[in-house]
Amino acid sequence: MATLTESRKRELQRDLEAIVGPGAVLSDPEELLVYESDGLTLFRALADFVVFPTSAEHVAAVVRLANRAELPFVARGAGTGLSGGCLPAEGGIVLSMMRMNRVLEVDYDNQLAVVEPGLVNLHLSSRVGPKGYYYAPDPSSQQACTIGGNIANNSGGPHTLKYGVTTNHVLGLEVVMPDGEIVWLGGKTREAPGYDLAGVFVGSEGTFGIATKVVVRILKKPQAVKTVLAVFEHVDGASEAVSAIIARGLVPAAVEMIDQLTIQAVEDAFGCGYPRDAAAALLVELDGLAVGMAAQTEGIVAACRDAGAREIRTARDEAERALLWKGRKSAFGAYGRVSPAYMVMDGVIPRTKLPYVLRRVNEIVAAHGLRVGNVFHAGDGNLHPNILYDPRRPGEEARVVAAGAEIMKVCAEVGGSISGEHGIGLEKSDFMPFIFSAADLALMRRLKNAFNPTGLCNPGKVFPTKKSCVEVGPVAYRPHAIEEKGLAQRF
Amino acid sequence: MQDGLLEGLRTIVGAPNVLTGVELSPYVVEGRTPDAAVFPGSVEEVSAVIALVSELGLPVIPWGGGTAASVGPPSARAGLVLGLRRLNRLVEHEPGDLTVTVEAGTTVGELQAALRGRGQWLSLDPADAERATIGGVLATNASGPRRHLYGTARDLLIGVTVVTAEGAIVKGGGKVVKNVAGYDLPKLFVGSYGTLAVIVEATFKLRPRPDDERLMCVGFDRLKDGGAAVRALMASDLIPSAVELLDGTAAFGGGGTGGALGLGPTLAGAAPAPPTPGAVLVVGFDGLGEQVEWQCAELTRLTAQLGGHHPRALASEVWPRLALGARAAFPVATAVMAFGVLPTQVAELMEQGASAARARGLGTAWAAHAGVGAVSAALATGHEPSEPAPIAAILAEWREIARAGGGHATLEWAPLAVKSQVPVWDDPGAAGRIMQRIKAELDPKNVLNPGRFVAGI
Repeated sequence: MATLTESRKRELQRDLEAIVGPGAVLSDPEELLVYESDGLTLFRALADFVVFPTSAEHVAAVVRLANRAELPFVARGAGTGLSGGCLPAEGGIVLSMMRMNRVLEVDYDNQLAVVEPGLVNLHLSSRVGPKGYYYAPDPSSQQACTIGGNIANNSGGPHTLKYGVTTNHVLGLEVVMPDGEIVWLGGKTREAPGYDLAGVFVGSEGTFGIATKVVVRILKKPQAVKTVLAVFEHVDGASEAVSAIIARGLVPAAVEMIDQLTIQAVEDAFGCGYPRDAAAALLVELDGLAVGMAAQTEGIVAACRDAGAREIRTARDEAERALLWKGRKSAFGAYGRVSPAYMVMDGVIPRTKLPYVLRRVNEIVAAHGLRVGNVFHAGDGNLHPNILYDPRRPGEEARVVAAGAEIMKVCAEVGGSISGEHGIGLEKSDFMPFIFSAADLALMRRLKNAFNPTGLCNPGKVFPTKKSCVEVGPVAYRPHAIEEKGLAQRF
Repeated sequence: MQDGLLEGLRTIVGAPNVLTGVELSPYVVEGRTPDAAVFPGSVEEVSAVIALVSELGLPVIPWGGGTAASVGPPSARAGLVLGLRRLNRLVEHEPGDLTVTVEAGTTVGELQAALRGRGQWLSLDPADAERATIGGVLATNASGPRRHLYGTARDLLIGVTVVTAEGAIVKGGGKVVKNVAGYDLPKLFVGSYGTLAVIVEATFKLRPRPDDERLMCVGFDRLKDGGAAVRALMASDLIPSAVELLDGTAAFGGGGTGGALGLGPTLAGAAPAPPTPGAVLVVGFDGLGEQVEWQCAELTRLTAQLGGHHPRALASEVWPRLALGARAAFPVATAVMAFGVLPTQVAELMEQGASAARARGLGTAWAAHAGVGAVSAALATGHEPSEPAPIAAILAEWREIARAGGGHATLEWAPLAVKSQVPVWDDPGAAGRIMQRIKAELDPKNVLNPGRFVAGI
């Protein structure tokens, strides 16, 4: 990528301001720094411009300008992503979607809403909550992350075990294609004619275009919720309990596991009342009809007891439920108290391989002379090992990255995947061959060509490639701005 | 077809698995006889067959159970039928992971039978389960009444293996229930009607079989009242697995068949058919016995306030008939159209569509997976239509009604003469150009099911 001359830059600035207005274009290097990384601060890349469109027409005009100028462009939401997916890897224009954050329509009878991509995930549930509805995908950064970012990464969350991930809740999208054309993919009704382009677009990590309107499903809130915390002497016992729950034919809304290091960090930092000497805790949530809830809760309790749980707590009311969840939800903040830095991994394995893979993760991290805390979506086998380290110690960050790659290899070896919800982005593009053959990747490239033939839309992501313009460690860990404000957690 | 090519095919799959001449009669679609039919016994054989014929630009027509063979515009060229029925192995079922990998030629019935023994099921219930294959169900995005709660193939398929137009074996997705690595290829192939690649293997997420399951039906005097009941049901705390709205003809049959419900032993003779034009709401519940019990009672209470009458339980044999939609109403339907509209528009579409047909002297039946806005209509003329124009006219009118409300319509079945006057597929709009580009990228020689799909694909 050639660097823009100053005069060319001024010209482009003028053109961009003509589209989005003078207050909506950043080009000052100091201001651009805010957008140099996402939640994974290992990767940094500076844009030439950051623009703030407020309409699909703005986005389309910026994209057409970028095409004329042969400048790369990428959409960005709240920047809570964890794979470097929204970084301007080759410079160019970042389109911040944060000013397109309206709820355009809520249709309760048809259980759908039309929203703009910059809407914060939780704000949708807050908006429809008073009428008894909610938006199901609940990534842990939901207080900050946007619906558009969720679409790019096909985000999940604890409660996706029962209700599915983002793609299962998106009916249609208005999209600005990489050539600037505005197109609807899918719509409010099911099974629009032709290929399921909405389904293909969700999870394409911003490489197929930029969503400007999204039709999402909203669900009725369940009549009843029951939360159980089971405490185990051995990690294997907790893993066995997960299998035992499934074997009993129970389908919980969430099954989360928290290991000893994490429990101790949480207790040191916040005192949530988890037993410090426990090897692992399992947080299980059931939801649905009030009728039958007691019987199902008994099933969960029995499954945990049979797997060797030494203590089982059941929340009697909403306050107790919040307390049980508090330890799980504050885990990432707690790591920050016990370690100068940590890096969160994201991998998926078949549930039945949990005991083996957790052992391997601990072995791998220990072999690199590091510590790991595990807090993850055990019900669907989505691991989040968090490797603790000190970036000021020379070479330590490189060891973290090496351990991470080995963990991904183990996930691949047992028939799993290298990402359950964080995406490939920049971070894992070189790991794609762990699970996909050259032929698999070739077909994905052809699909990308159909949407994004020039490659200007979010280049350098998903596929194995050299990362020429990106600064890759060893850089000192710096928390992201929104993390410092306590708005987001990293998992 | 050249003898050399036939020899090549026989070498790959074995002579008994290549059909020619009179043996091809089961594979004749709308009067067009394929050049040959070939039945590979492995994914590698599928790959070798496609590599051989695609070189020559010969069309390849993937064929599972043949239940949807006549969907789509008539093919412009003959070609090679690629039968997948021999690919019927259950590759891997790990009950603890709630996943299964199965070859594409396995029928839905065979898969469900294998899973039943382990207390699990694939929560997809398309029609013709004993004949429809997994590959065909995915390619046509077929579903049934339980889609209300459990979604469609796109929500259940987590991994897929396909053979591309050049014969390459390609995987998408994986074997784990949560996975965002790479593009979502399973979504691309669901509903692609064999135009992008040939599906040879699929991995699904499964569910435990519920303890108990029941179907309830409630009669209404008017479709409108049935529609209001659907709305009330959706807004309630109940968690139905199926929400079906049928008009009197779809429920109780026209012209000698029993309709969706008429064959149900519980109803036969016992329930007075509601006066035409009546409506029947059919609701499924599953879960623990006490949950099913409570919900059935709640449904009765809720619908009684809205004019519902004669609530009763139906026999489980009714389920597969509901999957047929309006088709179940007639021994032979002249045309079948499928609609996607908003759930709140369902009853109105059914009323308007039926009255438009009545005005033209045509009999119809209407059935809907009402909670998701999937409606089907069957048209019966009672005899082979001599003149396609009136039929084409009403189908076009129906499509306009759906489109006016933002919906769409697919002509699922009609005589060739009608299909030449009414497009089978609805207009995909500007997205059609992206679809054409995807087709050109994945099948540049246009050999896979050419001309069968939207936008000329």
